[in-house]
Amino acid sequence: MTTDPWLTTLQSKVARLVEDGSVAAVIGFEAGSLALRVRPVMVRRPEAAGKLVQNGFCQNNLAAYLHHRPKGERIGLICRGCESRAVRALVVEQQVSRDELYLIGVPCRGIIDARKIEAEVGQEVLTARESDRKIVVCTRSGEHRFVRRKMLHGACIRCRFPNPVGVDIMMGAPVPETDGPGIFENVRAFEALTAEARHAFFTRETERCIRCYACREACPMCYCSLCFVDGTAPRWIESTVGPAGTQAWHIVRAFHQTGRCVSCGACERACPMGIPMTYLTDQLNRQMEEAYDFVVGQEEGRQPPLAAFSLDDAERFER
Amino acid sequence: MGFRPTIVVFQCQFNLYDDPDRQPAERFGAARVKVIRVPCSGRISPLFLLNAVQDGADGIMVCGCAPRKCHFKEGNFRARRQLEAFRNFLIYLGLEPERIRFVWLDPMESGGLIGALGELSAALRSVGPARRLAPRATAN
Repeated sequence: MTTDPWLTTLQSKVARLVEDGSVAAVIGFEAGSLALRVRPVMVRRPEAAGKLVQNGFCQNNLAAYLHHRPKGERIGLICRGCESRAVRALVVEQQVSRDELYLIGVPCRGIIDARKIEAEVGQEVLTARESDRKIVVCTRSGEHRFVRRKMLHGACIRCRFPNPVGVDIMMGAPVPETDGPGIFENVRAFEALTAEARHAFFTRETERCIRCYACREACPMCYCSLCFVDGTAPRWIESTVGPAGTQAWHIVRAFHQTGRCVSCGACERACPMGIPMTYLTDQLNRQMEEAYDFVVGQEEGRQPPLAAFSLDDAERFER
Repeated sequence: MGFRPTIVVFQCQFNLYDDPDRQPAERFGAARVKVIRVPCSGRISPLFLLNAVQDGADGIMVCGCAPRKCHFKEGNFRARRQLEAFRNFLIYLGLEPERIRFVWLDPMESGGLIGALGELSAALRSVGPARRLAPRATAN
């Protein structure tokens, strides 16, 4: 695996932070036992900092782990663009205080979609490594090479903000930001279908849902201690895997993310059934962007539109 | 016309404190109307709308107070932002736009609800019974 020159700087910085006690732990990634996947780790001892990695196989959104953090301790978080914007949104929602965090920013070249690669090679992946342009994957039958850009997760292809915002220290040089010509292209493509086709797609996809709630657990913005699907008095939606329950789950889960979703795509990557979900949250985010000029995490301290209101709304809606 | 649409009306209580609107609504001939009174349109959760759609309502009407007429000052503004986005989202998922309608009434007027119900039931008759996003209703 090619190593970014700043990775060693990152490791020694984390080691120093943990050693001098300025943070109790740092949340990052370490290599796992499977190719194409790395796993989140909490570094509490300086010698453990050496196992930190940061690459395109880091699938999780680490901000989701802040909800499991030890309370009352200062925590370090290694964050890419989406993670830093999730932190901003969580600070606005008072889920975490910015003073409790030490944010270590890293540039992001996009997350590699392990499922795309697995589908391409059609067999078990033994090792994988990446460079700026390429991904090389080894299987029993030999080597496969891919263009990195094409194997990125959809959310990362559409990403406009790969560089972290509002961090305490930045590792490595920022990556060039594009205006995201592909932004919301998934929403536009879906909208171009007829209403009947859209409904057919939505019901067909949600029918595969097994209600494991991995999407919820992976999401940095899903932090309610009692989720509406777990409540039984009143039971808002069916808890079965029947169409009524799965459709309601996907509709309401997405709707709760209106103006809060950072479009990291962690939900989709976590889904064991491979159900597309970002076309739902992206549509809601686009509504917020068009109506209220609101982009999650772009302005520090700004409330999401559905948590605020304005008297100007009187003119926005008819009558 | 054989089809008599089922309409669920979520209505702010300050919108119908004098009954002339409420009773004709429940006896409305062209449709089966169920009026659900809520303390304020701000109380109407998107889940209410979703449950009505899933349980087979052909149409949904949300009645709140006109801007600056809200008894709680801002409940109707909150409702508007949220429910408007939710309606757009359901349309995005394939629901017919005719099925959800918002009416913002002045609490001092009466008769506005009946007019809006007439328009809604006419629109619903032209789109027919609800089938999309109504798995619970179709299973029964």
